Amino acid sequence: MRRWMLAALAGSALTMAAMPAQAAWKSYINRELGFSFMAPGEVKASVGTYRGNIAGPRQTIVYRSVEDNIEYKVTVMSFIQAQAEGANILGEREYMFQDGKKVLVDTFARVEPGKDSVYGRKIVVDLPDKKGRSTGAFYFTRGKLISLEATVLPANGDFASPDPGRFIDSIVFVLSRTEPGAVELKTPKLE
Amino acid sequence: MRLTALAALVVTFAATTAPATAAWRGYISHPLGFAFAAPGELKVENGTYRGAVAGARDTLVYRFVDDDIEYKAVVIDMSDKANDAATLLGEAEYNFQEGKKVLMDTFGRVDRQYGRKLTIDLPNNAGRATAAFYFINGRIISLQATVLPANGDYNTPEMGRFVDSITFFTVRAEDDAIELPVRSK
Repeated sequence: MRRWMLAALAGSALTMAAMPAQAAWKSYINRELGFSFMAPGEVKASVGTYRGNIAGPRQTIVYRSVEDNIEYKVTVMSFIQAQAEGANILGEREYMFQDGKKVLVDTFARVEPGKDSVYGRKIVVDLPDKKGRSTGAFYFTRGKLISLEATVLPANGDFASPDPGRFIDSIVFVLSRTEPGAVELKTPKLE
Repeated sequence: MRLTALAALVVTFAATTAPATAAWRGYISHPLGFAFAAPGELKVENGTYRGAVAGARDTLVYRFVDDDIEYKAVVIDMSDKANDAATLLGEAEYNFQEGKKVLMDTFGRVDRQYGRKLTIDLPNNAGRATAAFYFINGRIISLQATVLPANGDYNTPEMGRFVDSITFFTVRAEDDAIELPVRSK
């Protein structure tokens, strides 16, 4: 009995020692902005900027974490007064993401079933100068352009990692579908 | 003299053996805000469109057929849901290619309008279709060219010529463009 217990303990210890030190994936929700997602690492909020020919200059809200040399980023921009231009604003953002880069995947994205569906685009690109591989998903809903981008950096090197896909596929717009216990995200104030 | 007559005969012979395709003409709709070019005789029809998000919609179709290629400019009014433009456009693009073999799916970009261009093979060898989709002024505008089996030239440049002829800056339309009726009679 004692040998079995010792063997079980040793086995667990060896397994835990051999596993890479990765953070758990947590669910995050922003009720004000109307979406939730999952990501590993510590998610921090900040304010950024964006410029497009159609979109013009915009302040952005960015939720970002880095884990195991993969950067996870959710960027939100408000276009409440230009919602009818949503298709163009979204198209411009998608185009800019892949412009000048090697495109590996460019396909439909769809979140939520039936009449709640939100259509967008999923794109995977190799960054120039071997700076990594980036997977992006782009949506325009309820007056906001929402981008999810996961970039596998050269220090990680596993460009076929499933983690970028797990991240961008975790987005939810019908908040009743969010995992219970999601961490509430604060919305940074824009100038 | 003899040579001239002979040359005239050759030209006449060449003209009679060339495929009978109609001339391309420009068409414009000032109320709807777009113009395009197409061959053949214009017919204006009513149609229907349905999407899970869009719901059931009436459509206005400008249709041409020439040399067994069908050309359609489809207008779907979404003005009551214009704020969902991105999703409505994405749904229309998705519905076009669902269940079909997709040969091309790429950006469409015309006159500050971003849309999508797709080429698909229709099931049961029913032909090949190229389409472009844009959302402007509360409407989905889609140009669709279908090469039918009776034509069989699935690499014809006519499909691209049609879908790439669209312009949303009406000043770019041909001077003699024909004004399109807004409603079918």
